[in-house]
Amino acid sequence: MRLVNRLLGRRSDRAPYAIFGGIATDAYKTRSLRSRLMPVPIPEKLVLPLSQNLGVDAIAIVEAGDLVQKFQLLAEAGEPGSVALHAPTSGLVSSISNATVADEFGSQRLCIHLQSDGENRAIETVPEADYRALDHLQLLERIERAGICGLGGAGFPSAQKLSLGMKSGIDLLIINAVECEPFISADEALIRERGASVVVGAEILKSACLASNCIIVLQEDRADAIEALKKALENSSIELMTLAAGYPVGGEKQIIQAVTGMEVPSHAYPASIGVLVFNAGTAYAVYKAMVDGEPCVSRITTLTGAPLQTPKNFETLIGTSVSFLFDLCGIDTTRHTGTIVGGPLMGIQLPTLDVPVMKTSNCLIAMSAAEFPPDEPELACIRCGFCAEACPARLLPQQLYAFSRAHDHEQNLAHGLFDCIECGACAYVCPSHIPLVQYYRSSKAEIRAQQRRQLQSQHWQRQFQQHQYRIKKQQDEAPHQISGDAVGPLKDDEPDKKNRSREDGDKTEAVVFSRERAKREIAEAVARVRARKAGHIASSRTDAKSDG
Amino acid sequence: MQTQPSAIVISSPMQHSQRSTGRLMLLVIAACIPGVATATWYFGFGVLINIMLAASMAIVLEACALKLRGRDIRLHLSDNSALVTAVLFGIAMPPGASWWLVAMGIFFAIVIAKHIYGGLGQNLFNPAMCGYVLLLLSFPVEMTSWHIPNDVLVDGSSFSAFSLAGLRQSLMVSMPVFGSAQMSSPDSIDGLAMATPLIEFQMAGTSALLAAWDAGVSLFSRDSGAAWELVNMGYLCGGLFLIYKRIISWHIPCAIIATVTMMSTLFYAPDSSAIYGTPYLHLFGSATMIGAFFIATDPVSAATTVRGKIYYGIIIGLAIYGIRVWGSYLDSIAFAVLLGNFCAPALDYLCRPRIYGHGKKSRSVPTTEVEP
Repeated sequence: MRLVNRLLGRRSDRAPYAIFGGIATDAYKTRSLRSRLMPVPIPEKLVLPLSQNLGVDAIAIVEAGDLVQKFQLLAEAGEPGSVALHAPTSGLVSSISNATVADEFGSQRLCIHLQSDGENRAIETVPEADYRALDHLQLLERIERAGICGLGGAGFPSAQKLSLGMKSGIDLLIINAVECEPFISADEALIRERGASVVVGAEILKSACLASNCIIVLQEDRADAIEALKKALENSSIELMTLAAGYPVGGEKQIIQAVTGMEVPSHAYPASIGVLVFNAGTAYAVYKAMVDGEPCVSRITTLTGAPLQTPKNFETLIGTSVSFLFDLCGIDTTRHTGTIVGGPLMGIQLPTLDVPVMKTSNCLIAMSAAEFPPDEPELACIRCGFCAEACPARLLPQQLYAFSRAHDHEQNLAHGLFDCIECGACAYVCPSHIPLVQYYRSSKAEIRAQQRRQLQSQHWQRQFQQHQYRIKKQQDEAPHQISGDAVGPLKDDEPDKKNRSREDGDKTEAVVFSRERAKREIAEAVARVRARKAGHIASSRTDAKSDG
Repeated sequence: MQTQPSAIVISSPMQHSQRSTGRLMLLVIAACIPGVATATWYFGFGVLINIMLAASMAIVLEACALKLRGRDIRLHLSDNSALVTAVLFGIAMPPGASWWLVAMGIFFAIVIAKHIYGGLGQNLFNPAMCGYVLLLLSFPVEMTSWHIPNDVLVDGSSFSAFSLAGLRQSLMVSMPVFGSAQMSSPDSIDGLAMATPLIEFQMAGTSALLAAWDAGVSLFSRDSGAAWELVNMGYLCGGLFLIYKRIISWHIPCAIIATVTMMSTLFYAPDSSAIYGTPYLHLFGSATMIGAFFIATDPVSAATTVRGKIYYGIIIGLAIYGIRVWGSYLDSIAFAVLLGNFCAPALDYLCRPRIYGHGKKSRSVPTTEVEP
């Protein structure tokens, strides 16, 4: 109850707390905030990846050739980590096949291809008459059905997060509208124009996780949004907190530190200390799901960058292609040098423009040579320690870099490599232009591969030992039979045969039995591994990216 | 329809701050200017000649070493690190040191102490101090003989130290190719050699600066005796500039200065004829300031964690005072810094900060708690 004490007693004078490290960056936000939030015309073709976030596919329940209506369920949540997917508009499912999605490798994921019929016929939505009458489990169920995942960038399924929170009990719900990365202004635009809805969404989330307190957090330089929010919060129990500008104060772990002064234990969820963090966009999606009865089929996406003539925030249908959006903004192709989805510090560079907007795509940046000069060549690390000053996890990036170069993973682990949230503050300040995050990512991948290998070899070793054990056991039993046989020449073959056949029967029975057991065990193990994998991916992504 | 973005995928972050290593190094050199200028004013062109000699040789040696190691010469020369090493080495050398002395030292610094260890960032020891210590141990007499042109010591001598003749004399002392120094002025060498500026009576006495002030002697006349104190103040200004520009952190210099002050206060013996001088003279009567702000803060060979830097500074401060007072070397900075370099890796390991989300006691090595 340390948190409650803090909230009641000392928060007023001490909060917001300072986070470790951090950097100051130029904001580049005003240009996309000049125009109002705009809906996007319906494109002819939508591509809907079955996995919107963590790489865990939802299960498609439509087939190629089906005619679907807006808001119709296309794929339902399957394994943990997946979220339901709904049709953003009416039309024909032309195929369910692989397509390139917005990740840095340009990898292929299974997607539902939807040919719009232009009519935009929707199935009847069932607005919740009074969400206050619902208990938290019903709210949770509605949120899950609406296919809502963290819209700030990490994409962890919201319902799962809420249920995690229910287990441990939540003292504080934080609605994160900090948006500390440069260029991104989706949350700011959303709050500026639809602040009241965000507040309602936050109230629904608050009752869904039974939190006793709820705070909406913004950076203090967002005057318009703060004003709108203050108006919306007049009759609400939800509080508003503003944080000094800085990066990465909007990271999940950092915002918790800034608001409460507490740290999320390493390798644990925020829920374990009684805190849940949701992005403002997620709160808005919850509002839409509950009050309008509409599932999550669109999101606010910032389109910005110097090559765009009219940068703005769009209410984008999920599945709209990036090139379609850029054309709407009038892109100057001669100045366009690349595209980032997400922010310039944690985002990924798209290998092609022909990728769909996903539920996690909060920002699309058209890069220009002026704003994103080509990377300077990497020089030697002089251990100046700027990176350690900037690191919000208080790691020693200069040491991790040396260990990563030496592939000294024991030291990497001892120096907390896996506590790195990959925010990129270290690489941003590095005067030698070392792509530090890239080094850490590859070290992490190496360590994971190593551990997989280790587990595998342990597995085979165990198998071998069991094999040896069985052989030895057989050999131990064999002399018995031999000696039994050797007692005297058998007069009659019959009993022996009978014996044998009975023994054989036993054996086969035993084999069948053990096979079934093994099958069951394997199935269980697979389920466990999947659950863990989903949880793990979620943790490593949410850690860093729950900001927006 | 659109231009395809470049195929090379760059890892985040895609934006960077404008600081670069080459610029940082240049700023370090710029911060040396007040100190170097003062030293030149008081000790003559010899100071500048040392720096120029060292710098030109360092660049050539660095280029050769990079070539031998198969690195991009232009790119790596642009980090300016060799220049910084050369400037610090040149400052440490006694004015009027022979060219071969400078060459030997800078060769050891650049080639042996830096490139043989793997180049910039890999050297365990401060290259400039490695070169200096090698010379100090091998050529103790030459390294403690200061050759200072005439009028620095003797007002109204036949020519000014800053005239062409003075420059010629300085050049001839360093590089006999320009002619023999004795020929131009027979008594110059004998008359101008000093054992070391940090002589015992100075440390035992009071501030020459204050004395000159009281006596009404202009501080900028070269016979005021206030040279060392003003030179140190020059380096102090440069050092504060570096801290202000956030190029060095305050931890190392502050720890060194605090330790030296504390030790010299503790052992201060006003009536002793030995060198248990006042704290002021320990800070400003020798090379303490350049050591604290410029040499010990070489990031490559220093400790890099915050607490590590403080312990590192304390170790160096103790060594500066200890070696100076109880050892045989009055200018103990180089040894002290090398001692600190020895300790730095262990300090860094022991002083790791508590990582976000780790308990107070979880600083031990975690085994294999990483998720698969």
